Amino acid sequence: MTLELQKPRPIWQIMFSTHHTDVGLLYLITSLTFLFLGGSLALGIRAELFYPGSQIIADSMTFNRIFTVHGTTLIFLFIIPFASAVGNYYVPIMVRYRDMAYPKLNAIAFWMIPPAGVLIWLGFADFTWYATPPYSIISAPGPAADMWIFGLKILGISSVLGALNFVVTILKCKHPDMSIGQIPLMAWAFLSSSLIIIVAIPTFAAALLMLLTDRLGVSGFFNPAMGGDPIAYAHLFWFTFHPEVYVLVIPAIGMMYEIIPRFSRKPIYSYNSGVFAFVMLSIVGFSSWAHHMYATGMSFTEKTVFMVGTLAAVPASAMHVFNFVATMWNGRIRFATPMMWAVGGIALFFSAGAGGVVNSAMPLDFTTHDTYWVVGHFHLFVMGTIAFGSIGYLYYMFPYVTGRMYNETWGKVHFILSFIGTILVFFTQHILGLYGMPRRIYDYPPIPEWIAMNQIASVGAMIIGISMVIFLANMIHSSGKGKPADTDDPFGLGGKYYYPFEAKNPSH
Amino acid sequence: MKFIFGFLLIIGVLVIVPAVDLAFAAGDEPGEYLDRRVVIWNLFYKMMTVAFTVGSVVSGTIIWQVWRFRESHPKATPTRYEGTDW
Repeated sequence: MTLELQKPRPIWQIMFSTHHTDVGLLYLITSLTFLFLGGSLALGIRAELFYPGSQIIADSMTFNRIFTVHGTTLIFLFIIPFASAVGNYYVPIMVRYRDMAYPKLNAIAFWMIPPAGVLIWLGFADFTWYATPPYSIISAPGPAADMWIFGLKILGISSVLGALNFVVTILKCKHPDMSIGQIPLMAWAFLSSSLIIIVAIPTFAAALLMLLTDRLGVSGFFNPAMGGDPIAYAHLFWFTFHPEVYVLVIPAIGMMYEIIPRFSRKPIYSYNSGVFAFVMLSIVGFSSWAHHMYATGMSFTEKTVFMVGTLAAVPASAMHVFNFVATMWNGRIRFATPMMWAVGGIALFFSAGAGGVVNSAMPLDFTTHDTYWVVGHFHLFVMGTIAFGSIGYLYYMFPYVTGRMYNETWGKVHFILSFIGTILVFFTQHILGLYGMPRRIYDYPPIPEWIAMNQIASVGAMIIGISMVIFLANMIHSSGKGKPADTDDPFGLGGKYYYPFEAKNPSH
Repeated sequence: MKFIFGFLLIIGVLVIVPAVDLAFAAGDEPGEYLDRRVVIWNLFYKMMTVAFTVGSVVSGTIIWQVWRFRESHPKATPTRYEGTDW
């Protein structure tokens, strides 16, 4: 496997290029920048919650602004662009095409992200990443809220353009010799997540427009004072953003499908079950949105339908875990940094899924709803599975992108600290939720158990913060001064690795 | 392949059948769930028992694999794919 390593060029040549690896690099740098920005806000939140009372953040409004921008940044400006970075680098190679199907559209999709990020960060809205109505309509201060809405609108368009490009590249531009059943599982992951985006995002795009016109006072879709219904917004929002969970997690699982067989020195145990599980997750993702809304007074029948719909994701998720475990079985596993992240990600994926089953069971959801249990649950997915898969893949692709090796020791230190920190923060938050601590609060009563668990979580967050500084230093230093990598076999795994149906005859 | 689908079909049934049972603990009248908190917590502990049991098996398997199939293990042998252009 080779990426088109090119000689150093002026930055403007990369910025105005439409080549898929150049656009991939831009996506990569942008997403990592927002990872560190959003992560630093998380550290601020955890520092504030270390003790009851006001610590480092002046007031609750500022606190609300910080966690709103933290969530928005890490979901829309880190995870999704990072997946696009990986897809841009690899999908054309996997389907044996010279570039993305629409290179200029690809570059346009990327260049929508920085202005959207600037809008979100300069606005610094305070109404949570959910843009809670009716507060977001009636009281949320402008222009911050409007800037957030416009920022999200731009990001939605960018996502749809990117998704269309991936779908066309995979379905229409793959080599004529390849059938759809022969493309690598990571390409399947991008196909599945892109199709979800195309179906799901327009709903939220409509909801954002309705929210904006409500704020302008020309409509009252979600404004109870004008006969509107905030619950309608919840339905529109979650119809998009529950499937969006799968948009985030499916590419990360696809990345694990690249890493685990490679480092186990075996092909994937069952290609077909991997494809089946991706397709199944894409479908059941749309059958479960209202499980976020059990507490809104839905009927018993509706709740039951959505509960069963949610649980239908369990067998598909279990298929992936089983496939990974079976692939590693009887392998000769090299625990280089990417493999450590991937295996850690599987373990945390399983833990996060177990917590999700509790959330999806409606009687239990009433107990955990809007508590720190929910915060722990979705962060365990986002950090423990998605970020672990993504960071592991970043280490994996590093030698192919830069032509140099990262520092292996510091990569492993990064993993170990992040793994410990993730468990300390997010497992503890589950327990904190069972003790009744509500989410999205700036201050809390001095209950000894709450204080102790908040302090454990804050220490965990600091450990993750330290690990990320190590990561940043490693990436910057190694990309300039790392050892030159053998791009045929940078990890010393033996043999030349081909994608399953990559031509072994160069003249093919 | 058949094994995987069969295995997961069984897992799916095992998950969904108790879920339907769980649903009936929720009640459908506003506020009723408060009267059923004992039932709910009982269900929670049951689910946690299942989750920890399954979690222990899966995590234990992963941990054992990590130890047993690492390349530095004394019994590690090359896989039949090594050295080939797979």
